[in-house]
Amino acid sequence: MATITTVAAMVTFRSPRTLPARSPAPLPLRRSVVSFAGMPARARAPRRLVAAAASPSTPPELAQKVSESIKQAEETCAGDPVGGECLAAWDEVEELSAAASHARDRKKDSDPLEEYCKDNPEADECRTYED
Amino acid sequence: MAISSLHATTSLHSPCTTNTSFRQNQVILFTTRSSRRGSTRHGGGGARTCFQVSCSADKPVVIGLAADSGCGKSTFMRRLTSVFGGAAEPPKGGNPDSNTLISDTTTVICLDDYHSLDRTGRKEKGVTALDPRANDFDLMYEQVKAIKEGKAIEKPIYNHVTGLLDPPELIQPPKIFVIEGLHPMFDERVRDLLDFSIYLDISDEVKFAWKIQRDMAERGHSLESIKASIEARKPDFDAFIDPQKQYADAVIEVLPTQLIPDDNEGKVLRVKLIMKEGVKNFNPVYLFDEGSSITWVPCGRKLTCSYPGIKFAYGPDSYFGNEVSVLEMDGQFDRLDELIYVESHLSNLSTKFYGEVTQQMLKHADFPGSNNGTGLFQTIVGLKIRDLYEQIIAERAGAPAEAAKV
Repeated sequence: MATITTVAAMVTFRSPRTLPARSPAPLPLRRSVVSFAGMPARARAPRRLVAAAASPSTPPELAQKVSESIKQAEETCAGDPVGGECLAAWDEVEELSAAASHARDRKKDSDPLEEYCKDNPEADECRTYED
Repeated sequence: MAISSLHATTSLHSPCTTNTSFRQNQVILFTTRSSRRGSTRHGGGGARTCFQVSCSADKPVVIGLAADSGCGKSTFMRRLTSVFGGAAEPPKGGNPDSNTLISDTTTVICLDDYHSLDRTGRKEKGVTALDPRANDFDLMYEQVKAIKEGKAIEKPIYNHVTGLLDPPELIQPPKIFVIEGLHPMFDERVRDLLDFSIYLDISDEVKFAWKIQRDMAERGHSLESIKASIEARKPDFDAFIDPQKQYADAVIEVLPTQLIPDDNEGKVLRVKLIMKEGVKNFNPVYLFDEGSSITWVPCGRKLTCSYPGIKFAYGPDSYFGNEVSVLEMDGQFDRLDELIYVESHLSNLSTKFYGEVTQQMLKHADFPGSNNGTGLFQTIVGLKIRDLYEQIIAERAGAPAEAAKV
């Protein structure tokens, strides 16, 4: 089959992207929080751990809401573990945790300059030139 | 004769040119490309369809995605919008807590916006967000129907931060309208409006591992609280959300790997793409020979993989009484050439060029799941949806052309 030659051709075409080096996705980094059985990808993890240290935390009010909702859910369920209020309370915890996780992702993706330029495209820093 | 009919059709579409001229060009490109491919049944419609497609593009193609992971920001949505081109962003100048995402071709709305009870209301009634009693299906049906007919809607906003229902936002009908959330296929009327539906089925063990990963860093959360939260939602989830998977045209099922004994971290995944047979405009992906069963380990002499390797399986099956084809991948991609090797052996991918799946995966190599079946199958489903969209548009364009010819 011609697949090997085409693979070689594709590889040379793609090399400027250097993405394969990153392809073990951020998943390995955050996994360092959980116990880790010996995985070969770990050899690459040390390089990535440096980036992990800088990962953003949840905005404070949202983090506050999450911890409050957890306390409240624990209190509600202490009295009545299967009642509707208990289920609704844990559902709220889940909803807030999801919102917190999305907020973290958004913060991670956002570039302060891009954010500023979205609102002020005419500012000096945001001027673009097309030749 | 031919010229006069062309003129007739161009006049039909003039109202559409006012504010959508750029987008029209994109649509035209789609149809000509598809007829050149030669694989569509609408062969000769190339030139004629260029002019009529623009108007029917105002009637969106509606896709439903059932997922438990919150709305609109999910990886699946980002991959899907990327297949169509352009980045999806929240509506500019609107509510900053809006759940909607808009790109050039696609608008994704979150079905949480159709909650009839806000967070306090649900707490009072002792009802979770998964419960149908917390959702207004009548409004959902009305609005999805309106969008499908090409009308703009004023859709409520559910603010996930405050837990309140905010004032509505205006949504214009896009080319592709995606409804994402917990109940896209719950209501029968809404189900009938969907042109294609997908269900993301995450198994309990994987869900647990992912939620631990997501929440452990959060102050206040502990292993027990995460576990309690999952278990509290499980009864409602099994009763109301899970049954939707029988209606889905494609199910992406994520399970723990079978390649590593006793793996409980959910790092290596076994992902199944369950595709319903007989769905209009949708041809399931297959491996080697359609309709036969095969197990395939690509790693060997031609391709070396690192531990734990990759294993594929394909075969027909029955899923909740429906005929389906199942494509399964267990393991991880470690290198680019593994990805391209696998892509070259899969058929019916609906790619426009060799290596498109690999290119899309590489474009988003930092997304979660980019090295395993979740990313691969999400990308493939995205390409299938693009194919479905082009077929529908070509069909719609073909019909008036037939009428105009007479």
